[in-house]
Amino acid sequence: MAQPIKLSVPSDPKYLGLIRKVLQELLDSHDVPADTARRLILCVDEACANVIKHSYEGSCDEPIEATFTIEGDDFKVQIRDYGKQCDTSQIKPRCLEEIKPGGLGTHFMNEIMDEVSYCTNRAKGTLLTMIKKLKSELTSVQDKDKG
Amino acid sequence: MGIDLQLDKAEDSVTVTVSGDIDMSSSTKMRDALTPLFQNNNKVIVVDLSGVGYMDSSGIATLVEGLQWSHNSKNKFRLAALSPGVKDVFEIARLLTVFEVFDTKEQALVG
Repeated sequence: MAQPIKLSVPSDPKYLGLIRKVLQELLDSHDVPADTARRLILCVDEACANVIKHSYEGSCDEPIEATFTIEGDDFKVQIRDYGKQCDTSQIKPRCLEEIKPGGLGTHFMNEIMDEVSYCTNRAKGTLLTMIKKLKSELTSVQDKDKG
Repeated sequence: MGIDLQLDKAEDSVTVTVSGDIDMSSSTKMRDALTPLFQNNNKVIVVDLSGVGYMDSSGIATLVEGLQWSHNSKNKFRLAALSPGVKDVFEIARLLTVFEVFDTKEQALVG
């Protein structure tokens, strides 16, 4: 699939489930193993939640545009918002030694994805790009099928 | 898509059974159910997650509040019946060993 799947939803938390369902269908159709799919869905969900919380500061009627591409070995997701830009150098996962609520979303994204980058080089908002190499996961499923 | 919550009160314990996906849109409902329980004289709070297929960081954050209550009050805050997906999220957060986790709610009540 070189043609990306694009989804645009309002920045209302009630649409997070819709994004997860669409992505689940897409990953299923590409035989992405369930464990990997679950983790990718978690990353996208956390990224969109961060947009709602930080970029749009809780406003529910702003656009979130998600673009999913599976090409070769790569799963790529881009999340575009038009809200408040933040200093991307300050986006860091919190120290896991501290047991406290909050701040885990960025850790999940950095832990699961192979690449995470934020681009604010635009008039409004941020473009988040996350890439995961699927080759090892897809190969293990194919080997299992052969066996 | 929301969550359903059921509270079963025993002598000095309470079991909270949660069903559905816990994300930014639904974790507030779980928090609203759990927070009053921290004020009561509960010795043990068990959260049965057998009906939860998905949990994000906002769900984890809510449960961490329970953990903090437990540490501050010396009472017990236990999790039961985590699905593989929910368990995986706890593992990535490196919290699986921080919580008291049991296979069933019955085991969690006994401790």
